[in-house]
Amino acid sequence: MVKQIQDAYIVAAVRTPVGKAPRGMFKHVRPDDMLVHVLKSVMELCEGVDPAAVDDVIAGCAMPEAEQGINVARVALLLAGLPNSVPGMTVNRFCASGLQSVAIAADRIRLGEADIIIAGGTESMSMVPMMGNKVSMNPAMFKHDENVAIAFGMGMTAEKVAEQWKVDREAQDEFALTSHQRAQAAIESGEFRQEIVPYTIDEKYPDLKTHQVREVSVARDTDEGPRADTSLAVLAKLKPVFAAHGSVTAGNSSQMSDGAGAVMLMSESAMRRFNLSPLGKFVGYSVAGVPPEIMGVGPIKAIPKVLEQTGVKSDDLDWIELNEAFAAQSLAVIRELGLDREKVNPLGGAIALGHPLGATGSIRVATLLHGLRRHKMKYGMVTMCIGSGMGAAGIFEAL
Amino acid sequence: MNNAQFIVRKVAVLGAGVMGAQIAAHMVNANIETILFELPAEADDPNASVVKAVEKLKKHEPAPLSVKAKAGFIQAANYDQHLEQLKTCDVVIEAIAERMDWKQALYEKVAPFLGEQTIFASNTSGLSIDQLALAFPEALRHRFCGVHFFNPPRYMHLVELIPCAHSDALMLDNLESFLVTYLGKGVIRAKDTPNFIANRIGVFSLLATMHHGQSFGLGFDEVDALTGTLIGRPKSATFRTADVVGLDVLAHVIHTMRDTLKDDDWHAYFDTPDWLRGLIDEGAFGQKTKRGVYQKVGKEIQVLNLADNSYRVSRGEANDELKQQLKYSKPADKIAVMRNSQHMHGQFLWAVHRDLFHYCAVQLEHIADNARDLDLALRWGFGWEHGPFEIWQNSGWKRVADWINEDIAAGKCMRDTPLPSWVTKISEQEVAAVHTPHGSFAPASGLLHKRSALPVYRRQLYPDLLIGEDATYGETIFETDAVRMWHTGDKTAILSFKSKMHTIGKDVLNGIQDGLEEAEKNWKALVIWQTEPPFSVGANLKQATERPKPPQVEKREPAPPSVFEKFFKQFKKSAQATVLKAARELDMADALMARKLAEVEVMIAQFQQISQALRYSMIPTVAAVDGMALGGGCEFIMHCDHTVATMETYIGLVEAGVGLLPAGGGCKELAFRAAQTAVENDPFPQLKKYYQTVAMAELAKSAEQAKEFGFLRPADTIIMNRFELLHAAKLQALALAESGYRPPLRQRAIPVAGNTGAATIESMLVNMHEGGFISDHDFLIGKKIAFVMCGGDLTPGSLVDEEWFLELERAAFMELLATEKTQARIEHTLRTGKPLRN
Repeated sequence: MVKQIQDAYIVAAVRTPVGKAPRGMFKHVRPDDMLVHVLKSVMELCEGVDPAAVDDVIAGCAMPEAEQGINVARVALLLAGLPNSVPGMTVNRFCASGLQSVAIAADRIRLGEADIIIAGGTESMSMVPMMGNKVSMNPAMFKHDENVAIAFGMGMTAEKVAEQWKVDREAQDEFALTSHQRAQAAIESGEFRQEIVPYTIDEKYPDLKTHQVREVSVARDTDEGPRADTSLAVLAKLKPVFAAHGSVTAGNSSQMSDGAGAVMLMSESAMRRFNLSPLGKFVGYSVAGVPPEIMGVGPIKAIPKVLEQTGVKSDDLDWIELNEAFAAQSLAVIRELGLDREKVNPLGGAIALGHPLGATGSIRVATLLHGLRRHKMKYGMVTMCIGSGMGAAGIFEAL
Repeated sequence: MNNAQFIVRKVAVLGAGVMGAQIAAHMVNANIETILFELPAEADDPNASVVKAVEKLKKHEPAPLSVKAKAGFIQAANYDQHLEQLKTCDVVIEAIAERMDWKQALYEKVAPFLGEQTIFASNTSGLSIDQLALAFPEALRHRFCGVHFFNPPRYMHLVELIPCAHSDALMLDNLESFLVTYLGKGVIRAKDTPNFIANRIGVFSLLATMHHGQSFGLGFDEVDALTGTLIGRPKSATFRTADVVGLDVLAHVIHTMRDTLKDDDWHAYFDTPDWLRGLIDEGAFGQKTKRGVYQKVGKEIQVLNLADNSYRVSRGEANDELKQQLKYSKPADKIAVMRNSQHMHGQFLWAVHRDLFHYCAVQLEHIADNARDLDLALRWGFGWEHGPFEIWQNSGWKRVADWINEDIAAGKCMRDTPLPSWVTKISEQEVAAVHTPHGSFAPASGLLHKRSALPVYRRQLYPDLLIGEDATYGETIFETDAVRMWHTGDKTAILSFKSKMHTIGKDVLNGIQDGLEEAEKNWKALVIWQTEPPFSVGANLKQATERPKPPQVEKREPAPPSVFEKFFKQFKKSAQATVLKAARELDMADALMARKLAEVEVMIAQFQQISQALRYSMIPTVAAVDGMALGGGCEFIMHCDHTVATMETYIGLVEAGVGLLPAGGGCKELAFRAAQTAVENDPFPQLKKYYQTVAMAELAKSAEQAKEFGFLRPADTIIMNRFELLHAAKLQALALAESGYRPPLRQRAIPVAGNTGAATIESMLVNMHEGGFISDHDFLIGKKIAFVMCGGDLTPGSLVDEEWFLELERAAFMELLATEKTQARIEHTLRTGKPLRN
């Protein structure tokens, strides 16, 4: 049996600002270009690292097709100027893809099979819609009742969770409002400055009067999702989207988004070789399955599993990045596991900050590590529920 | 003006208010390049006001645009930057606020920029055209006139054309021809008198109704119950119409009459009553402010009660006896019924009609050229079934004239002005009529004026006929109780349905089959055209759902011998087997019901045979469509070789609304059309869109949208004027016939979306069902439709023939029909006219 022979450290963690989809600031920005940008950025931050020494690039993507298809990790690393000797792999575990990529990278290092891996994730929900460009269901799903839930939309599963865990509309809206308020405050106080690498959007438009091409170049450095103007009254007016008499609205669900993130992982020897210091250490990661119709409660299974695995106690966690797929499932997880509301998403969550599916994991690793360090905290967790009924949770230690 | 062919390449509309923007919308509906002008906005974009107005058009109800995408074709402009562009416009329509000084100032500003041939017309609703003309240099006045559109301009047929003293005759003819063919309008030439014809009479009628309503002590809702469909006027009757028009607008029009018609004998009545002024002062302008004579509270309609100046539930009803009498009396007797009624409702209606007739007779010579123009103006501008003179004539000219004279003498009329002498002269004629096959009465000459001889009207084989005009349609080829096949002296046969709303029952199916056989034998082409809309509201549901009577009283009559006997025999076996199977599956092993259903399946099979025959007969078949075409009507259209549709055609496969699915070839045809556009052999992306329109029973709200929905093909012809429909359809049919027509080869290799397609659709349905948006039965219907349109449980991409789909349609239709919930839906819809959700 192969055992861990060394630790995996994170030496750089960056992300793009997150744009709204499908009509936000990155609507015309390709997801592979966003990935190129964050790959270049981590390489620049790790000055002196020999690009040829990178053992692998692993990128998460939840709908890996079209603009983010044909193994987007390999395409992006080549376009980022890494030598063609560096391999690349795209992984898909839906909303946990960007965390899964970090976990795979860490495990390869911990086993001693690699020393330097860039993990990340990218997603353009503007360009590749939820469920992909061509939706095609297997008829077998409908042959047996127990499989029908595979076909449930995510919103429908949130309704089921809200019903089963008795999370009412008011609690969901209040949770959503808090997310916006925290995110807004975090932006204003510059909490995201360390993790965000500004993205310059270059676009070309026709000027029909002069028949010239007009080039527009805008640098974006701030998340687009948070709303300063929302309130409980505004949220209460929204109609349920997924069930006629439901409680899940566009206001208390995560936003559709575009964005990318990248994390540089290294062994101790590699850090020493290139004279780099760590942001933190990878502690452990778990995934678990739950019934597809209540996919939102995945973290209820995944979190205890990773705590047991790593020996970290729940109380030791100073900061929890719980992906807010829906307020309903977030509250179900928080209540069921007795999590401290103040420690969960102190800078706001996906309801305000957005959720570019396969990129979210990497993006929130960056948020967590920089946040833990800024606030002189030690242990933190990134966790999320996953479509079709799973949960993932990863623990990190700030150094 | 020269005599060369008049072409309108581009139009400018000045003023992006409600009317201006809607007129511009209708121009682009008609594929006319249009520039919409407004004052420059004080925003970054000087065209911001126009951009905003165009955005509003997309949300406006009823939709001014045939499809939303048309909005993008309206070019925005402002008076500061773009006046140069007016030079390229052949017609400029001014539609700014009704202020003489503003309009004149604008004219002075734009006059130097008009092209050498540009026609300039004002959409004023009542200002003097002669006075407006003064703002133009004399050299331009011959190209000026009024064109008065009615709101909403896309839907109201009437446009009043008002010459000024200088208007060039040829210019007016050209403009009229343009308005008729290219915008589809009904043009009436009006004299330059305040409010022209339709508003002058229409508003008088409203004032008279208010006056008599008040003196009879009737509530507003009571008046509306009496003055709507009961007397051949729109359902919104009097006060609801006022609310829709806007009480402020109405007051404005009344004030125009008060200020400008001082010589009118009825001038004393041209005033806004206190209650109307009160509402306007409170900002209650009607529909646009959500409160007027009526208001809606929750689902309840409330009406203003003058007694205590509060709102109460609207529950006005016409006296039942009077209602029955009016319903069952001949049109010619209705006025007499009102007059002779002992009930005050009858007396009120008589008074309203009497004073209207009186006023029309006195004013006719001042406002219109002849009686036809006045009647058509009211029909087209106010949606009245018949004009005042038509009703008068139809009720006995002399008899009614005598009654009016009696009431004048008795002091019962609003005014004692004597009826003009021409009324008496007509009374003394052998045929006492203002409308005759030879023309309509013109008071100025005392002669009958024929309909306009403008060449544009040669396209109207059958114009909107008035009572008294000749209403025979060509020569009969054959006629049954259900259909008539006829011709107009050439080799194109025309088939028209005679059923109510042109529903399709067994007898109509027989008629079409006979018609096709006859056409193949003796005619070059077949056009299906109805003498009036709708085209068809679909299959006769009654036949499909009348529950069988209990056995003891049931007496089964032998089926009448028909050409369908062979179909009966052919399908009986398979039909009964399918139905019994379906009934068993659905726990409906009711032998009686099964037998009834078997008959229905025979009819459905017939339906499909006819659809296929329309497609594959050896002569070209052309559907000439106007108004609604639902269900089976839509399916027939889809199977004709070509369709000529008016823009105001509303097509839909709405069977799902009553718990069924299209089974006359509609599902088949949409699946086939999706397959035709399939990219890389995958029909699904297009099929999914078609599926949604069928499953949601969506109705296309214009012919243009019907193309988007796939009911019409890209090459089908859309025309603007419904009275040109038969002309255009016949020419299309003839063109096909003369181009070596052969039916298309039979489709034997249609790729299906198969079980994966059906599963993908089911995944959407599962979520809607689970979310409580659709009922169990909706879910079942949705699955059935998906199953049929995807070609059943097949491997995706399998190739099938048309009959494959048709069998699936029949089986699914029968399975649904065998369910109690579908039967309940149909019964409910037949009884109430409304859909049932169960």
